[in-house]
Amino acid sequence: MSRGEAGPLTRFGIPLVVAGAAILVGYMLSVGLDGYFVYLGMSAIVAGIALLGLGVVTGSAGMVSLCQLTFAAVGAWVVSWLNRIEAPGGFLLWLLCGGVAAGLVGVLVGLPALRLRGINLAVVTLGLAAAADLTLVQIQFPGTVDGISVERPDAFSDDRNYFLLGIIVLTACCLLVHFLRRSRWGSGWQSVAFSERGTAAAGASVRTSKLSAFAVSAALGGVAGGLLTGQVGLAFPASFTAMQSLALYVLAVMSGVHLIDMAIFGAILWVAVPELLKRWGVPQDWGFVVFGLLGTHALVTGGNLGVAVRELVRKRSKTAAGVELTSAVDDVEVLPPGEPVLVVRDLSVSFGEVKALSHVDLEVPSNGVLGVIGPNGAGKSTLVDILTGFLPQATGSVELDGRSLNGQSPTKRARAGLRRTFQQDRVPSGLTVGSYVRFVARRRLTSAEIDEALEFFGCPPARTPLRSVDVGARRLVEVVGHLLAKPKVLLLDEPAAGLPHEEHVAFGARLRQVPARFGVSVLLIEHDLDLVRSVCDRITVLDFGQVLASGPQAEVLANPAVLKAYMGETEML
Amino acid sequence: MSGLRVQDVTVTRGAGPVIRDVAFTLEPGRITALVGPNGAGKTSLLESISGVVPAASGSVSIDGTDITKQSRVARAKLGLAHIEQGRAVFPGLTVVENLKLTARTWPRVEEVLALFPELEKRRNSPTALLSGGEQQMVVLARAFAARPRYLLIDEMSLGLAPVVFTRLLPMVTRFAEEGAAILLVEQFTHLALGVSQDALVVSSGRVTFQGTAKELLDAPETLHSAYLGE
Amino acid sequence: MLQGALAGLAAGGLYAVLAVCLTLMSRLVRVVNFSQSATGMFGCYVAVWLSIHVGLPTWAATVVGIVLGTALSALLGWIISTWLAEADIGTRSAVTVAVLLLLISLSFILFGNKPQPFHPVLDGPAFTVGGVVVSQVTVVTVVLSVLIAVGCRTLLTKTSFGLELRALSERPTTAELLAIPAKPLAVAVWAVTGLLSTLVISIVAPSQSNDATSLAMLVVPASAAALLGGFRRLDLAVIGGLVLGMAQGAVAQVDSLSVVRYFLPFLVIVGLLLWSQRKEVWDVAR
Repeated sequence: MSRGEAGPLTRFGIPLVVAGAAILVGYMLSVGLDGYFVYLGMSAIVAGIALLGLGVVTGSAGMVSLCQLTFAAVGAWVVSWLNRIEAPGGFLLWLLCGGVAAGLVGVLVGLPALRLRGINLAVVTLGLAAAADLTLVQIQFPGTVDGISVERPDAFSDDRNYFLLGIIVLTACCLLVHFLRRSRWGSGWQSVAFSERGTAAAGASVRTSKLSAFAVSAALGGVAGGLLTGQVGLAFPASFTAMQSLALYVLAVMSGVHLIDMAIFGAILWVAVPELLKRWGVPQDWGFVVFGLLGTHALVTGGNLGVAVRELVRKRSKTAAGVELTSAVDDVEVLPPGEPVLVVRDLSVSFGEVKALSHVDLEVPSNGVLGVIGPNGAGKSTLVDILTGFLPQATGSVELDGRSLNGQSPTKRARAGLRRTFQQDRVPSGLTVGSYVRFVARRRLTSAEIDEALEFFGCPPARTPLRSVDVGARRLVEVVGHLLAKPKVLLLDEPAAGLPHEEHVAFGARLRQVPARFGVSVLLIEHDLDLVRSVCDRITVLDFGQVLASGPQAEVLANPAVLKAYMGETEML
Repeated sequence: MSGLRVQDVTVTRGAGPVIRDVAFTLEPGRITALVGPNGAGKTSLLESISGVVPAASGSVSIDGTDITKQSRVARAKLGLAHIEQGRAVFPGLTVVENLKLTARTWPRVEEVLALFPELEKRRNSPTALLSGGEQQMVVLARAFAARPRYLLIDEMSLGLAPVVFTRLLPMVTRFAEEGAAILLVEQFTHLALGVSQDALVVSSGRVTFQGTAKELLDAPETLHSAYLGE
Repeated sequence: MLQGALAGLAAGGLYAVLAVCLTLMSRLVRVVNFSQSATGMFGCYVAVWLSIHVGLPTWAATVVGIVLGTALSALLGWIISTWLAEADIGTRSAVTVAVLLLLISLSFILFGNKPQPFHPVLDGPAFTVGGVVVSQVTVVTVVLSVLIAVGCRTLLTKTSFGLELRALSERPTTAELLAIPAKPLAVAVWAVTGLLSTLVISIVAPSQSNDATSLAMLVVPASAAALLGGFRRLDLAVIGGLVLGMAQGAVAQVDSLSVVRYFLPFLVIVGLLLWSQRKEVWDVAR
């Protein structure tokens, strides 16, 4: 079995072939279907595009957006207006303008809600949907009052051909979402949904990731609205109510529309459920009741149709992929530690009355590994937080390779070459090992490079989805990603904590080679003294937020004061 | 059958077991020190006893009643108290309010406050404004106020100056003298062993020593190998 | 302007009570309850139906409606605290979005989508200020909103029930370890907010636009008001509600500004969010 990722041919070829097939099927449907079903199908296409957008914002980026049809209304409005003023370019260009306009509105609306969490976005978007609802009824769409119908493009003027156009637009949107999700943007969406800190630590901007997701989602909504206007000729506010936005969101959650096929499936449900109810003589409002119940169930149980279907189809391997550190590693010549590359002076921070760190000095030598040890609560993780910019209230100076990092954001510091890993699991489960490593590394990597680094640390192969990787191995994948970013210094916060104890020594042997193999200096926080002994050139000991001792390994570990602190024998005052 | 009995408890977190087949019994009136290096699984063990995390296998019983499947609230009502790591005060509540939660009656609040003169002075301050030592005192007083018969204490000294910690330890002793069984997890090994009758050493999720505190103090190499490896 | 502002005060009182409910829910049970006003709406609609089709006297129907609103809210609370006990606030709140949809569409089915023929519980003017008539409804809602806020505050600070609730909201696990029963207390909070919202909607709905969507969407201005208090402070939530209602009433006097009136809650929300996030905040503390 090959360890690597799929080649470019498969990566681009398969989606394009599927897209071609979809358009072909669409053509056959447009010719063969009964006229009424063509009409229904068109409604499903519109819903499908809107749902694709929701998939990006709710599924990938983990935000709650309750005004998808308001963005559709923006698209519809722009198309109607351009039609009314007889703007040049024709329908397709207008449609594009509608999408762009909706995307811009999305950016404007998303901006205030970005720093705070998803729930604020929900409040903002519901507020917008409610306001737009009332406003649209009052101002109406351009041309509606005068009855100026939107002109379809000549080649797609009748309903069957317009359906085919819809299929083409939908396919294009699916392709767009597919490739975006595999791009840096898409990895950013997944990452920000899982952890903002993890995203910033990978040198990606939390703000850009969220905003891009929201803009793409809104733009797709705008395209859906524009397309709907072309279908019915005149846009009416009743097509874009807040209620329907809510229903669309609930449908998105219950069908799991971050998967493209489930967006299509959700769109079919959107049309089929009311239609079936109508045929059975049940009031169509029951459709939303059904969505509401299923949505509540999906949210409460944390599952959705997409995941359930996939689990049925695919036999999921029961065992999670773990770490394989059994094979021996080649020796490399360990370089002698050089001049300090990270210099920290007089670092202090307090939380309220508690002084978490006071006047800490330390230096990480180039090509070296500095161990930071100390009892629980000594301030080790706080130190990493300060160095990487997550505690801006700290005082003191941090210099990386002679350049001061003071006042810089975590994202900036990561880009400047000071990276960190977390004690907690900060690896988004929606990505594959390979795409996560590429996202974290932030530079062009060959598949061979990735495979080699993963293999060196005994990680699962690049194509493995991270959700089937166990916690210990995930944290090593995190380490590999940051190493491949080639930072100047990497801060590792208890990287071995998720590993079985027996693997610690093997992991240590590999860590020892990191400066020589990857050209990265390391600051290692670790409890396991066996591991520290086997890896670190120098050691700094923290106790009660202060440096207790610092120096070459043997010297520090022989220091009786250090042993006492470490074993809890501190002298009483 | 009195006592808190832990039988072959295994606790799993993420990748694998962090506590494997641990068994011991806490007896009324005795303090048991639970020591071992960071990451050995001490906190997870305590959490499985009080119900914060479920035990993957094994059982916990109080005075013969199996509590393995019971809720945290039910366990607490059986007389089990758990002092979590890291000064678990309710920061927005005043000192008195914190105590009232477990004391139930005002006379009991006053009784407990009398044991801690430092707190008496700040009785109506929100606990967020107290120093670390005072906060830990509130937590200890709050646990005492409920008169638990079994008390799990997780690293009371965390982030406190040793001098503050030595002020708190006698209260633990006093409480044991009133008949409670106490499991004391502590990084200040020697201080903890000094006040304990029994001792447990855990390392990498397993019990590596079980005996009296004195035996452990007399065998420093046991501790050294648990903490320093090799 | 003054006339408009005073006319908007009844709506303001309604926003204020709902904002108090939202604040309590967010603080005490970690939910932004998007179905807060929908629950009240549903209870009121059932009351109207009972009084018209069953012939119950208005007061009795209203009582039944309030009991139903309370029970609905408690049921939802029970579901959320059973299955989503450890979930984050986002997931817990998303459930209420689905419930909002469910309640609106159910009421469409059961009662149609037209405004309901409410029998006002209160009717007539209370007094006149500077030539402007202030209705009984206005007086009662405003007084009620202040009373409810003061009452909730007293309950939280002076009773052991409130003490346990505050403890639970600050550190749920620690509270449970102290034998404080999380679930019954949470369900009680849900029930109380359900009761309050149905009560206040019963009083104000007859004099407002009272179709199902408008009543359910009252949660928008209410959350704008709650945001003024940061979803934490009850006093600011009440002030926010009253001011927002008056502002909307004043703007409604000017025809050219009617669109502004619709967007007022949204603009307030955006403005308050921008203000509250001047400083950088991370998603988790560590």
